[in-house]
Amino acid sequence: MADNANELNKCIQCGTCSASCFSGRVTALNTRKILMEHIAKKRSLGEFDTVWFCVTCYACQERCPRGIPLTDILISARNELVKEKGLPGRLKNAFKSLQENSALVPAKNEHIALRKELGLELYHSQFVDSARNEVGEIVRKYVGGIIK
Amino acid sequence: MKFFPGCMIHNRFPGIERSLFFVFEKLGVEIFPLKGSSCCPAPSISKSVSVELWKEIGIRNVRLAKNETIMTACNGCYTSLHEISQIFNEGDIRHVVEYLHSEIGIERIKKSVEKRLPVRLAVHYGCHFFRPSKHKGFESPERPKMLDELVNAIGAESIDYKYKFMCCGGGGGVRAGATEVSHDLLERKMDAIAEKDVDAIVVMCPLCLNQFDVGQSELNELRGKDYRIPAVHYVQLLAVAMGMDVSLTGIERHSVIEQNFIEKLVRGES
Repeated sequence: MADNANELNKCIQCGTCSASCFSGRVTALNTRKILMEHIAKKRSLGEFDTVWFCVTCYACQERCPRGIPLTDILISARNELVKEKGLPGRLKNAFKSLQENSALVPAKNEHIALRKELGLELYHSQFVDSARNEVGEIVRKYVGGIIK
Repeated sequence: MKFFPGCMIHNRFPGIERSLFFVFEKLGVEIFPLKGSSCCPAPSISKSVSVELWKEIGIRNVRLAKNETIMTACNGCYTSLHEISQIFNEGDIRHVVEYLHSEIGIERIKKSVEKRLPVRLAVHYGCHFFRPSKHKGFESPERPKMLDELVNAIGAESIDYKYKFMCCGGGGGVRAGATEVSHDLLERKMDAIAEKDVDAIVVMCPLCLNQFDVGQSELNELRGKDYRIPAVHYVQLLAVAMGMDVSLTGIERHSVIEQNFIEKLVRGES
């Protein structure tokens, strides 16, 4: 986080980030405020759950006239929030699926049937035992504790 | 060359894969499935939770190809594998749309079309194809033209609309974690598209496809909307234009199906 604070020192408070934010038009997500009032000042994001409303479209980062990697910084702030408060419930389920199926989006019977209908093999690691277990182990190693 | 399907194509929209293999066969490019490959994993949602997890699963996928080029048809898979291949300085990652545009070229695509498709399309690029642009080195991430040119090459017409370059609302873990926000964003895009008289929405990413297709049905159900604009991946249209049967594209198995659009694809330009 220390590097992020250094990067954010380059900010000239122009507001291009917030003006470019598509999600900020429909939610209370305030990119500039999160970045400058919390991350730059190393204040806890605390109740700033709006950080999860960022679609990571990278429009703010592309347009920042000071070249600050804003979206990347926001993503690393989520990391900190996860350490502090754990994963939001539905994301927890997604990572449980990654651990069990080696897929954030696993196939159900209807999708398996459609593949067969189109003459396609089942070769995603979800269907290859050794590969699925290998990926499941990686997930367990890094996030096993927070998705229990 | 190896095809990396990712979860969304392998497990939700296999018609994209069927179409891609048809297109590559027609173009005489050898491509095989990358067997045992897993979730890429999805860039933003995974990095939000653990960068180390993202890197380790990603590099496993890159190494499975044993230095053969990896072809993707998903913006998320493309961004994850591309970034990871640069971090480790290993592997060669391509997205089918930029490959078709720069390696095959518009002229050859035009020549390989057996049936021009007389449809009006709303083009949606998706965020993660161009952005972050730093390491990708394509044309402008503000107003890209690549997909519009490919659409025109098969006889279809790209129709401009408001919010064309905005997110579909499906990315960043927002669809999974904050569905209402995701619906709000989609509604803005859909309202803008619905103002125009288009036959379909064309995308280059199965996550965007899912958002426009399944998400559209959700908006109809939850918010009393009456959108009926099918969404398709570009390679599905290209396969039809190159002579593949529409039924093999899986388009008729999407959530939003319009008979009029299917008929135009079956008939082609008269």
